[in-house]
Amino acid sequence: MAHLDCEETKALVHEYLHNELLADQQNDITTHLALCDSCEQEYDLEVYLNQVIQRSCDEAPPKQLADKVLQRIRDIQSH
Amino acid sequence: MPVATSECDEASLLDSEAMATSKNSDSEAKIRDFEQQALPLMPQLYGAALRWTRNPSDAEDLVQEAMAKAFVAWNQYQQGTNLKAWIYRIMTNTHINRYNKAQKDPSRGGLDELEDWQLGNAESITATTTRSAELEALDHLPADIIRDSLLAIPEEFRMVVYYAVVDGLAYSEIAEIMGTPVGTVMSRLHRGKKLLRILLAEYAMEQGYLSSEKVEKNSEKS
Repeated sequence: MAHLDCEETKALVHEYLHNELLADQQNDITTHLALCDSCEQEYDLEVYLNQVIQRSCDEAPPKQLADKVLQRIRDIQSH
Repeated sequence: MPVATSECDEASLLDSEAMATSKNSDSEAKIRDFEQQALPLMPQLYGAALRWTRNPSDAEDLVQEAMAKAFVAWNQYQQGTNLKAWIYRIMTNTHINRYNKAQKDPSRGGLDELEDWQLGNAESITATTTRSAELEALDHLPADIIRDSLLAIPEEFRMVVYYAVVDGLAYSEIAEIMGTPVGTVMSRLHRGKKLLRILLAEYAMEQGYLSSEKVEKNSEKS
């Protein structure tokens, strides 16, 4: 098992959160986070920011948009 | 029933009618197929279009345009592959062709390097706050401030953040949608998130939700 320092751990925060690492690396970081408050706080903040972004970007499309798209497609098909 | 004057006429009339009917049902089937598979993606497509265009009416236009192109190219879509990513790719091209032509001047090049000094500033802001204070401050920020801040960061960063965080797409899928290498996706996600954190921290400080007091105490200690 590789030993990761804080700088290396913090550099991989997004890859870890988005499951883009190999299993070994993922485990190394999980281990580091369990032992390091500073890195854990950094990770918690990024997780929370992701949740906040997800919650904020939830605008529903206007009701007529689906109809407009269908109409457009029927127009294309009939030409 | 068509009225035929002779047996021969009747036969050819029925033939062409049958052909027309089958052509008609083919095109009905295509529309139905597309409708069933692509239309349920509307909320996500609209969400991404809003991030590209930064306003609802242009977002509607972009969705319609991308959907029309997707329909025309429908026979090129490989069933079983990620349809949303496929339409997103079409949307990227549509947007770049439609809205970005005017911006395509050489001075805009080097985007990925350009932000280093900005990020430097940014880091000095978040360096003076504690993570827990930053996290707490996020709770006070209204959704429209979060959305506006996302819209305020450069488009290339914004879209990568959006696809990764809101859509949960893999780096490889985002790379394909944006037409960049995976390494670029990675660095844009890092930079985009960093810029966003700075903007939000700045706003939170202005509003008094976040202060650098705690840091001063910390640095006194050290």
